[in-house]
Amino acid sequence: MKILLFDSSTLITLVMSGMESTLKELKGSCKCEYIIPNSVKKEIIDRPLEIKRYELDALKLQKLIDEGILDLPESLGVNRSEVEQKTKQILNKANHSFFSGKEPINLIQEGEAAVLALAEILNAQKIKNLLCVDERTTRMMFEKPENLKKLLQKKLHTNIILKKDEIPKINAKFIRSTELVYVAYKKGMIKYRNPNNNKKQILSALLWATKLKGAAISPDEIKEITRIG
Amino acid sequence: MKESNNIIDILKKTKRAIIEKDITSLKELSDRTIHTASIYQDPDNIAIAVTVYSLGKIIQKKETEKNKNWKKLAANFNLFIDGILLALKKGDMEKFRKQLEYLRKEINKLSPDFRKQVQEVFRKASINKASKIYEHGISLEQTAKMLGLTIWDISEYAAQKSETPKITATVNVKQRLKQAMDFFK
Repeated sequence: MKILLFDSSTLITLVMSGMESTLKELKGSCKCEYIIPNSVKKEIIDRPLEIKRYELDALKLQKLIDEGILDLPESLGVNRSEVEQKTKQILNKANHSFFSGKEPINLIQEGEAAVLALAEILNAQKIKNLLCVDERTTRMMFEKPENLKKLLQKKLHTNIILKKDEIPKINAKFIRSTELVYVAYKKGMIKYRNPNNNKKQILSALLWATKLKGAAISPDEIKEITRIG
Repeated sequence: MKESNNIIDILKKTKRAIIEKDITSLKELSDRTIHTASIYQDPDNIAIAVTVYSLGKIIQKKETEKNKNWKKLAANFNLFIDGILLALKKGDMEKFRKQLEYLRKEINKLSPDFRKQVQEVFRKASINKASKIYEHGISLEQTAKMLGLTIWDISEYAAQKSETPKITATVNVKQRLKQAMDFFK
């Protein structure tokens, strides 16, 4: 069994760019499960259902749950309180890993930490998993914390102290909605047609759509992925 | 309050910018609290950023330009800012928040038709500040919480505004694509 763990950002990008059906098709192509923590469900369905502007998109995501495309951790037999406890530990450590002077900077929140908690639980059970996270900070913290330090220093114009040992040790591998649509494109699941039969333009359009709806990806990365094709 | 001297300076300059209808200065001044807001995540700093930015937007609206009583209105705004400044200098944060609330109410008085627009101005001002804070390295969800917004409100704007410099590309493009392709094999 393989698990794809989603935070809010990726699902919001996909639904806002009208590509949520890609999730269904991709799932049909592999023996895998899509899991969202309860805190993510709150952010992508429960809360937006009360906001007219986002109500329809929340209903589309609810439909993915109803159809069994997205599941909650309980479906894997993962205890809710275990996730909540690990989430708290991760939040506490992660938010005490970057300091401005003596002040710890609160960088991440519950939903983001809950996805990491689930990864840790699944790793302990030796279940292969991948995290799907569009927002930048969480990914940078676990992939290259030194670069996050550089970014914070550059933007905040202040010295940042990185306490690397405080960052929870989780073997987390990340992809974004960008990579998901790339896989869908490679598997021939994208049915758009360019009048000049220019397939690379279709790929570029898909990648730009994810970027403009929230995925943290640079134009250079889009160019490179399009070139790879 | 963190870095109250910075806020005092910002508010003094805001008063002048209001009288001169200097929208550019108001926008720049509203960004001056972002560093502090990002580090300390102090709601008072954030409230000042949103209010000063909103004042700039409100002045920009044509309806206000047509307002014959602009001088009186500007004087009123500045009277409330004086109240905020006085509370800050005394370190009276309760009064500071009350005075800030009075200023928001005064803005709401512009005209009945304008009230809805003002609400939207404040929402958009919050989104603008949120996208700046996200740019500074704070996560999407944390930023949303700080501003009282949802991730839905800010993800689109944050992605468009953030420059995503080279340092944010933490894993090789090919490696990340391979990870995804391997998973769906």
